[in-house]
Amino acid sequence: MQEWGDSLVELKVDRVLDDSATDTRIVVLSRSDDPREHLMIWIGASEGEAIRRILDGLVTPRPMSHDLIKNMGEHLGIKTTKVVLTDVKHNTYFATVYLDAKGVTRTIDARPSDAIALALRCSAPVYATADVWKRRSGQNLEAWLNKIESKQLET
Amino acid sequence: MIVQMYVKGLMFDPYNNAYIVVLRDETQSEMLPIWIGKPEASSISLAMEHISPPRPMTHDFMKAYLDAASAKVISVVITDLNDNTYFAKIHLLHGDSEYTVDSRPSDAIALALRTEAPIFVNESVIKKQGSEELAQWLENLKPDDFGKLDT
Repeated sequence: MQEWGDSLVELKVDRVLDDSATDTRIVVLSRSDDPREHLMIWIGASEGEAIRRILDGLVTPRPMSHDLIKNMGEHLGIKTTKVVLTDVKHNTYFATVYLDAKGVTRTIDARPSDAIALALRCSAPVYATADVWKRRSGQNLEAWLNKIESKQLET
Repeated sequence: MIVQMYVKGLMFDPYNNAYIVVLRDETQSEMLPIWIGKPEASSISLAMEHISPPRPMTHDFMKAYLDAASAKVISVVITDLNDNTYFAKIHLLHGDSEYTVDSRPSDAIALALRTEAPIFVNESVIKKQGSEELAQWLENLKPDDFGKLDT
């Protein structure tokens, strides 16, 4: 956990919601040690579906993009060790993917959506820095869900 | 036998709400259309236009992953066509060893364009599909032909 020390918050990928107004998805993460505390990230539809498929255990006939990355890693003997949400600027989240390439740690800058879609396929843990956790959106998930539901009733 | 082909363009297929990536060989005598999904089409289009989005898209991430692993894409090969579903292989070089990974053609092409790796097609695939001109081929298609997409 090198540079983040003890300040990482472990997260569980809870679910993927549809934001039907904008054809985007929302990935909902919760604190591993307190599932009532959430963090929400708006992501693209195809990345959202990639996360949803793995959460639902769906297998596609052909490997999808994140399955391909996972398969490449397996062939090359690369292990995805963890994903860290490192920053949030103007509602854009930044993630770093940590790889173990034959004993050497490498990091890759990624969008959270790609990072999470890969982490779930590799059973790698997902963390947020304490700072990102503090500045997250999603504290009021329940209120927000009610809002979506009432919007959907209207249409 | 394999033939090297190049990405000639992307087309939208409004009937199926899908995209077609068109490959041609150097002499423009052979042509291969491949039906792909929207996210893969937009990824191929960004690479064709040499546009770098502010954040890495999925295939940029895939390339960064291979870079971090010190692996190089040697080539991609469209290997087979079955019931309108295409199969591809990505050939990787890592250390002194070569690795072959099964892929959809759309991912393979999106990655090849970013890594400047050549795209090859098995001749049998071209014979099966690419011998006619695209316009004529599209004209003769029946709705049933659009059953399976590369998604």
